[in-house]
Amino acid sequence: MTAAGVMTAGKGAAPSRIFVPVLIFAPCLLVYLVFFVWPQLSLLAVSAFDRGQVSAAHYIRFFSDEYYWELLGRTLFLGVSVTLITLILGVPVAYVIARMRSRYAALLLVLTTFPLLVSAVVRSFGWMVLFFRDGVVSNLLLALGLIDQPMQLMYTLTGVIIALAQVLLPLMVLTLHGVLKSIDPDLEHAAMSLGAPPWLALWLVTLRLARGGIIAGSLLVFSLAISAFATPALVGGARANVMATTIYEQTIELLDWPFASALSAILLVFVLVISLLYAKALDRRSAGEAAS
Amino acid sequence: MGLDRVSRRQFVSGLAALGSLPLLPTGAAAAQDFAGRSLISSGFGGSTMDIIQKAVFDPFDKATGARSTQVPMQSAAALARLKSEAGNPQIDMYQFSGGQEDVAKKEGLIQPLTAVSQLDDIPVGLRDPDGSWVAWAVIAEGILYRKDKIKEPPRSYRDFLKPEYKGHIAFPAITNGYGVDFLVMLARAFGGGEDNIEPGFEAMKKIKGETIFKAASDLPSLFGQGDIWIIPYDSGNAFKLQTSGLPVGFATPEEGSPAVNITAVVAKGAKNADVANAAIDYMLRPEAQIEIARQMRWTASNPKTKLPADLAAEVPDVSQLAKLNRALINEQRAQWIERWNREIAR
Repeated sequence: MTAAGVMTAGKGAAPSRIFVPVLIFAPCLLVYLVFFVWPQLSLLAVSAFDRGQVSAAHYIRFFSDEYYWELLGRTLFLGVSVTLITLILGVPVAYVIARMRSRYAALLLVLTTFPLLVSAVVRSFGWMVLFFRDGVVSNLLLALGLIDQPMQLMYTLTGVIIALAQVLLPLMVLTLHGVLKSIDPDLEHAAMSLGAPPWLALWLVTLRLARGGIIAGSLLVFSLAISAFATPALVGGARANVMATTIYEQTIELLDWPFASALSAILLVFVLVISLLYAKALDRRSAGEAAS
Repeated sequence: MGLDRVSRRQFVSGLAALGSLPLLPTGAAAAQDFAGRSLISSGFGGSTMDIIQKAVFDPFDKATGARSTQVPMQSAAALARLKSEAGNPQIDMYQFSGGQEDVAKKEGLIQPLTAVSQLDDIPVGLRDPDGSWVAWAVIAEGILYRKDKIKEPPRSYRDFLKPEYKGHIAFPAITNGYGVDFLVMLARAFGGGEDNIEPGFEAMKKIKGETIFKAASDLPSLFGQGDIWIIPYDSGNAFKLQTSGLPVGFATPEEGSPAVNITAVVAKGAKNADVANAAIDYMLRPEAQIEIARQMRWTASNPKTKLPADLAAEVPDVSQLAKLNRALINEQRAQWIERWNREIAR
């Protein structure tokens, strides 16, 4: 950093053009390096050693074991399911609030963020009340005649998906709301005046334009869902193990830090790859349509 | 106790004591002055931690002038913290309930208790032969059952396989300390043990479809909802459930109640090791142990503790407990967890 500064200063030509941005950026960069990049790298480095020697043993252990593939698959399935649910539930909510003329629109938006104001632990105890075999959900479904014997969502993956979708929905709504709000309603009107039925106008114009928000919201929800720990641990119990709970188990219960580190590295890589592919796929489609 | 008031006799015996280091103040913890000093210990969290604070640490602080704080963390997390701070511990004293003291000792994370005068009063097996840890209380495990659903108290771990309880059983996951003990006791009940866990897994596979939970905090919901009748857990939690109004009974199985040691250790390099030693000595005092038994139904580890008759009926004596080979269990734990995750939880 300083070397670059000296060099540009030596040339005498507009040192400020590089120096000022670097200077502005430096505090953030420093904090980021010291408190994020360095710990992250040293954490990942642990996974490459086995009894003091560089080794791929921990990665081989993961990829050669069907159990861990299942674990990874379950984690990604959890992420995708939660993302889809929040997307399907979130788009209409965000759309309605964004198009609302009422002065209560802001209040409604604040209301949607309520799940975020409750701690994960308290929220999970709430789900316990709802999800146990004689809980509210089971009794309600029984009373409606939808099921013929009590069912338990507690300690199941389905329960975890529902609980995570509930808490992550506000993030999806907030992200989509910002984007939808910025789309001019006249564009829809124009489409409809040219003969498009309202649903087609919504599909062709509004949702296409909101694609950036859909990408951002999905990535946000997906990455938070697969790295969530408290909800899977408390609602999922022993049966719905995911990567995050297994990393905890390896670190805290078994003290196998290298393997835990390998697990987190693998999770990180898969998330990055999936996120990049997803963002790229949506981006390319919009680019292609813009060109045609 | 000013120096000027020390008699010649005391001075001589003091010299003699100095010669025989480590210094053991003979039952004179109260004479120690820790005014202005602080002690940080790990604690078990929740009401347990509050009760221990009131029964042990608060009176200790009052007697010595120290200021003791407990930081809540589960035993496994506490060991991880101790390990991550090895050499420069921020927490002076740790309390464990899952046999973590063995690992801590093996990894050289703790130091011997040098100034706990009552250490020798504690029975062998409840203290480390090398003096690295001591159990200041013991929790008796056994079978918790709904008295309104099960008329005849369960008598054995084999009862978990009774067909009439099918669908009404819950048991702790193996990552919970009691989950491991349940597996071992099942193995013992069916002809195995710590060295032969196979019968335990065989038996547990037959009830793998039942409810599996991870933490004691799920107990009230499990028993409260009515369709769970029988859970392997401990007398302390049975008492908590009873006080909350649930019709829960505690049965001592014929295989014996496995005992969980509540141990105290001092972190290696702890800044307040002397205060920690004195606090641990305080924990071993009969009056502190009676208070713990009264409020939590934990068994006293010091045989000199004489419980009042009403309490003695409800708290098993330390001599009535089955002893598990913790060292042997700890050696195989990782392997059992791997297997359990695949064969029971899947």
